[in-house]
Amino acid sequence: MAVHVRPVLLMLRRCIAVATVVVAVQFLAPAGAAERPERPPAESGSLADQIDGLIDEARELPVAAPADDAEFLRRLYLDLMGTIPPAEETRAFLDDPSTDKRTRLVDRLLASPQHARRMQVWLDVTLMERRGDTHVPSAEWQEYLRRAVLKNRPLDELVREILAADDTDPARRPASKFYLDRGGELNLLVRDVSRLFLGRDLQCAQCHDHPLVGDYEQQHYYGLLAYLSRSFVFSADNQPTVFAEKGVSDPVKFQSVFSPDDTYETLPRVLESEPPAEPQFPGGQEHVVAPADGVRPIPKYSRREQFARDLACADNRAFALNWANRLWALMMGRGLVDPVDFHHSDNPPSHPELLDLLADELVASGFDMRHLMRSIASSATYGRSSALPDGIDPKTLVPEQYASGPLKPLTPEQLCFSLLEATGIAAAHRAAVQQELTTGDPRLGELLAVDSARERLADEVAEQRVYSRLQGNLGAFISLFGAPGGSPQNNVQSTVHQALFLSNGGPLVGWLAPGSSQLVDRLAKLSDADAIAHELYLSALSRPPNDLERGQVAGFLAARAEELAKAVSELAWALCTSSEFRFNH
Amino acid sequence: MKCNHACGSQEHGLARRSFLGTMLGAGASAGLGTLVRPAAAEELQRQQKRVLVCYLAGGVSQLETWDPKPRTDTGGPFRAIPTSVPGVHISELLPHTAQQMHRLMLVRGVNTNENDHGKGSYIMQTGRRREPSTDYPYMGSLAARLLAPEGAALPGYIHITPGGGGSISAGEAAFLGPRYAPVVLGNGNPPQNTALPDAVSVTSDAARQSLRRQQDERFLRRRRTALTEAYTSTYDQAAALMAQREVFDVSKESEQDHERYGTHDFGRHCLLARRLLENGVTFVKVSHSNYDTHNENFNFHIEQLGEFDRTFATLINDLADRGLLESTLVLVLSEFGRTPRINHLYGRDHWGTAWSIAMSGCGLQLGGTVGATNDNGTEVVDRQVDGGHLFHTYLRALGFDPTDQLTVDGRPVQIADPAAEAIEEVLA
Repeated sequence: MAVHVRPVLLMLRRCIAVATVVVAVQFLAPAGAAERPERPPAESGSLADQIDGLIDEARELPVAAPADDAEFLRRLYLDLMGTIPPAEETRAFLDDPSTDKRTRLVDRLLASPQHARRMQVWLDVTLMERRGDTHVPSAEWQEYLRRAVLKNRPLDELVREILAADDTDPARRPASKFYLDRGGELNLLVRDVSRLFLGRDLQCAQCHDHPLVGDYEQQHYYGLLAYLSRSFVFSADNQPTVFAEKGVSDPVKFQSVFSPDDTYETLPRVLESEPPAEPQFPGGQEHVVAPADGVRPIPKYSRREQFARDLACADNRAFALNWANRLWALMMGRGLVDPVDFHHSDNPPSHPELLDLLADELVASGFDMRHLMRSIASSATYGRSSALPDGIDPKTLVPEQYASGPLKPLTPEQLCFSLLEATGIAAAHRAAVQQELTTGDPRLGELLAVDSARERLADEVAEQRVYSRLQGNLGAFISLFGAPGGSPQNNVQSTVHQALFLSNGGPLVGWLAPGSSQLVDRLAKLSDADAIAHELYLSALSRPPNDLERGQVAGFLAARAEELAKAVSELAWALCTSSEFRFNH
Repeated sequence: MKCNHACGSQEHGLARRSFLGTMLGAGASAGLGTLVRPAAAEELQRQQKRVLVCYLAGGVSQLETWDPKPRTDTGGPFRAIPTSVPGVHISELLPHTAQQMHRLMLVRGVNTNENDHGKGSYIMQTGRRREPSTDYPYMGSLAARLLAPEGAALPGYIHITPGGGGSISAGEAAFLGPRYAPVVLGNGNPPQNTALPDAVSVTSDAARQSLRRQQDERFLRRRRTALTEAYTSTYDQAAALMAQREVFDVSKESEQDHERYGTHDFGRHCLLARRLLENGVTFVKVSHSNYDTHNENFNFHIEQLGEFDRTFATLINDLADRGLLESTLVLVLSEFGRTPRINHLYGRDHWGTAWSIAMSGCGLQLGGTVGATNDNGTEVVDRQVDGGHLFHTYLRALGFDPTDQLTVDGRPVQIADPAAEAIEEVLA
């Protein structure tokens, strides 16, 4: 067997051309203390214009009209808050005559504690893909993510913390979930690091250069693996399991299944970048704590910390492109590179300049997710109606032309929370929590009412309490509407079981049952059909009914005057299961 | 570092152009687990191939069933009896099944080298060893995807379990997506949520569904996409499934048939399986528990096989009589067999090293055995096979090429483990 130790730069070879996480909310310390200063809105405005310019110049189809206020409000709420807006919020927004109300809405939502929750869910689902818990409880990990978003911590810093996590700092224990709850499986970690942080699914390159994607080489796979090959899951009696690391390792060698006689070797490196300069220690002196039976080693030099620095940084273009693309996909329903983990030269972005621009902006803003989302939300492209102009067959739509607002299926969480909102349950819990906070504990009420920083804190506490009251409803939705644990969650399949769940056996029927439904009982007390129609559409579809719909509701209710509540319940069910509800449009 | 994952080396024959073509298609539709349905599948749909699996959960003993070793140190107390096929003997605990031997093929050289329940079960139902980075679909999900007619009202993959509630076990479909996940019928009860709730009358349901359709019609006129079509069609599928709820009602079968199958749960479940197969369900798995006999192996096998034997023989006989056996692949599987060594509790332990399964139907060579173990059953001495070989064989029997590629998130994946191939001698 020939062993070629190749200089890294010459490695050019293609074998084939192809909790009631009322987590220590410290009541007296403002939670947002470490918050970064917001960028002036003018800059996001100009980025929004650039986005529109690049999208418009590449489009051939005629475009849809701008979304009206109701459509925009619902879309923005779902994207930034993870749920449809409360009816009173919709009413207020529609009644507000000011011209800058959309801009103010974007800013207000981005600063709200509910936005931190929405992004917590998104980051958790993106990074852990609904894997079961093994070593780090989800509640702790999710709270860690929520607080990071609440403080608008730079995304690169957060990822560095996750990739460097070694449990030496107990406060950062949750960050080690990424490694530990994948069982420290090296091949799984390399695949997921490449997919989730570099936008490249390098799995095929484990055994050989990717047969069909020239850019994905086996040396890339093993370059990443070399950063992690000193790491291992360490357990000792009476101590939490940790992802530990040794200070030494054998060189990482690999061979292609196509030419098993040739063995190659690689240093740690991220894709095509140079291997890091690593400190060398005399043999036997590589550790602060040397490995021994039952003893967790601590190396003088951590390759994993180096990994975090080399991968999650402004100089790593793949990292910036990956996150710019994923944030665009979050807002616009598809990546500029699609699928989001398939960046390579034969699958170019639909709008290369735009992706570059967004990545530049992400880097320049210090990996500020809020800044990017604000800019996208402020663009005309984002704010376009999902209804195509007359005369265009929706089936001829080319999604990457962004001629109309995209239809995005609600995630399991969005669907569950939106149904809780539409049926009046969320509002009832919000009211109960307000009651708790103002009268339940007078001292708390006083503390929270002192100044505006405290007011923010009050919002945060209220959000946490409402969430903890509602989160028990999520499980059934996740198991039926989500993808299986451990697989990508950004695609959904509609199944007959979902329809059966919403129609017959799931909680929705109970949430709309006359006599016990917040929504139905409220509406059934209203004086006339017109008022019922108005409230119903506002609550479920976040818009007033049009004349045709008003007429239909009136006709339907007139024929059922004997059993009005039941008829209202049927109407409400129909709206909650309609496509208009099921999709963010 | 040596590669131990076989991720499909056949794909290298694929031209880049055709690969990119597939990718574009995938991008335009669902994206996840997009599978190019082999053209042959259309033809197969017309032939309505089906699969029935009797899953003897916990690990049935091969020595008390298909590969007895009487009068040896490992053989235990039971005799071997002659069957309807001269020269083939099986355990005396299966007298009725013995009379169906001309309709069975025994695979006696199975070595999956896996003694863990979960991992063994995965191997036997996906044809691969578990890998940390990829989950593969169970054969029921694959059958639902490849064989079930498009638009069928009934689920393509049904799993009848001894007890417990109903559920959807999404993980088994892996990258094929939850549409192909098994619908679990706990203790043979109809699928979850297929009856209207008490509070909703038939008229009330009709009213709300019609309101929903009106609302959709308005909204979708200028927004209809493949995703919205997929969503709205699930309500039609739900109505169709609810209308066919009687298919799941085994009490509609004759009293005489209930007697013939046995009045115990497994008998009822197998009768239900026959009913489902006759009504066009593609893949039915019936689990029979529990064969995990670490102690009192012999007593428990008398008990368990006492239920299994007559019921299974009746089912095979019925499928043959009704002309269904030609198009139905029947498998009797476990996650592993049991140790030849008898432990101090008169039990046998987990044993994936030398054990047996039984197959029938679907044009297989029947009335014989393939593979063999040594005199006291401690190792395979002829035609050793593992889960991969078996999986290839099932696919071939169903008319598929196990080396066909699926495209999963842009990655080609061979349907069956590239490291294995079919047991040619049992294929017709």
